[in-house]
Amino acid sequence: MDNKTLNRILKMKNMIFDNLMESYLPFPIDKKYYSSWTDKLPRDGDTVIYTSYMYQISGILKKYEKLFPKISNVNVPKRLMGLSKFLIKPGESEIKRSFSIMNNIVNILQKNHINFGYLYDDEPYSGAILLESGFLKEFMEYGNKLNDFFKSRGIKRIITLDPHTTNALKRLKTMINFDIDVKNYIELINFNGSGEYVIHDSCLYSRAMDMYGLIRDKINKSGIKIDEDYLTTSKDMGTCCGGPLSLISVNDSDEIARLRSEKLLKINNNVLVMCPLCYQNLSPHVENIKDLAEVIS
Amino acid sequence: MNYEWNVSIDKAILNNAPNVNKILEENPYIKETAKELRSKKLEVLGNIDFYIDKTEESVKRSGGHFHFAKDSSDAMEIVREIVKNNKNIVLSKSNVLYEIKLREELSKLGKDVWETDLGEYLVQINNDMPSHLIAPAIHLSKEKISKLLNKNLDKSINENTSVEDMVKAVRKFLMEKYLASEVGITGANAISADTGSVLLIENEGNIRMDTVLPGIHIAITGIDKIVPTLKDAFNEVIVQASYAGFYPPTYINVTSGPSATGDIELQKVSPATGPREFHLIVIDNGRKEAINSDLRESLLCIRCGRCYFSCPAYKYYGKDFGDSPYTGPTGIMWSAVTAKKYDKSLLCMHSGGCKEVCPMDINIPEIIEKIKFRETG
Repeated sequence: MDNKTLNRILKMKNMIFDNLMESYLPFPIDKKYYSSWTDKLPRDGDTVIYTSYMYQISGILKKYEKLFPKISNVNVPKRLMGLSKFLIKPGESEIKRSFSIMNNIVNILQKNHINFGYLYDDEPYSGAILLESGFLKEFMEYGNKLNDFFKSRGIKRIITLDPHTTNALKRLKTMINFDIDVKNYIELINFNGSGEYVIHDSCLYSRAMDMYGLIRDKINKSGIKIDEDYLTTSKDMGTCCGGPLSLISVNDSDEIARLRSEKLLKINNNVLVMCPLCYQNLSPHVENIKDLAEVIS
Repeated sequence: MNYEWNVSIDKAILNNAPNVNKILEENPYIKETAKELRSKKLEVLGNIDFYIDKTEESVKRSGGHFHFAKDSSDAMEIVREIVKNNKNIVLSKSNVLYEIKLREELSKLGKDVWETDLGEYLVQINNDMPSHLIAPAIHLSKEKISKLLNKNLDKSINENTSVEDMVKAVRKFLMEKYLASEVGITGANAISADTGSVLLIENEGNIRMDTVLPGIHIAITGIDKIVPTLKDAFNEVIVQASYAGFYPPTYINVTSGPSATGDIELQKVSPATGPREFHLIVIDNGRKEAINSDLRESLLCIRCGRCYFSCPAYKYYGKDFGDSPYTGPTGIMWSAVTAKKYDKSLLCMHSGGCKEVCPMDINIPEIIEKIKFRETG
């Protein structure tokens, strides 16, 4: 790793950490806009659904990742960085899709008799990017702040929607005094579905959190048919979409996504994912790609 | 993306991963043995000085010489003292030999040093470094190998030469080296503290030659290879071979001291046909420090190399994911332990397959997360 890359990563760490400690966000985003996907859920509650803005902003993360190297070379004033929340936004169809996914998850949770509230534009980001980049000290420090925030809102149970947020909160339990119950929505629901797919597993769901079997059980029971291949989709051999590498190299991340897509498409043209970042990484190479929450009810 | 590497790694995975899976399914005792081995290795890590001392006593008891090296230069100093003026040296594949830069250092002294594992020999004549712990030449295609052999060994070899004929040519060359060798240097797949035995596993037969034909056999390995008993050492080599895709292994070599005979009135006399001297050098080189840190579990690794094929970073970057010879997921750990090199950890995507396939159940992604922290913390 050359010094230039390392310096960029360290600058990025400081920038993200400072932003999180100041605003609960890794970089400026329009919270009102991204929380407008629902107005039907009660604000607060001891159980809340927690988006951590992942589905909403997954489409613009790549833009930020491309921006980071440029920002690290010049000292961009904070005021100008703040403007980026209005300049960098996902396309209309992209945001519509993410809103629809979250609303579908809400409907299925409610059908499964689970009640919860939502923090709307008070919702903080989970800090997953710090954990996944190895910024452990900063992750724990921000985790304490996050813990205090949730406690101050009387939250006892958090329902997460994506693997990165789920993993970050579950890891916080092992690192600091974070005792709030964390459940991923897939753990809580039974659902129906149809179609035939090859699954691209989220590495965090299937291996880090050991949900590979649970996810397959639920999908198999739903009516969806899954095509498997040991070298491509097994727990042992299935691999990453390349997404986490984009902070180091956007090009390498894209190339790994392309190679992963090639392998998946040899099994089935329809690819099923469960993570907004996997979707973003693979979708340029896969025409028929769906998130689980788009194909179940 | 290197197209040639992409093809090579896909072929290697196709040939290896389903086979390992089949071995484990057909021999369920191996997974149980791996669990038992993990607990034995943890016992050693918790009492490392005791087990080093016990190994020393056992090696001396069997007529061998024991040496403890705190680092690479210490190890090389010991090797130079043992080798003295002997010139002809054969080596068997060992990552610790790379770790201490043994071949490089001995060559500087004017010694005639040859790798005898076929893959390592190819890496040597290519002035290259290994791309995998147990399959060092998987990055080289048959075509590339034919060119290498044509240039370095036999002008009649070309891209149409069969693999069998290439192997035959190398075998002929190496046989001359075995017969002329005065010193054989190997690593160790396991060392039993109770008997001071070195266990080496192989398929080619070169290690048999390296450990028996020269008058001096030197085994060099890390302190992490010590296990409590000879039974544990056998368990380690069986688990390693199985998870590497070689079951049953063709050869398991056990060396407990120099050659000896008791055929005349049961009086033990040494040497007999094999080496007159046996030396075991165990090296620390950062391992003790790692035992007392959050990298401790790295040292449970038995270097079967299975984690490589489940790793998207290795599949993409090849030997650039790590610092050769320590590449791949386990290599990130070994580079951190032995060289305090942390930077390549940033290429890890925490895909987690390495943890799933690890026979020692090492949570490799979480250890790499801690190594990342050393780089960026």
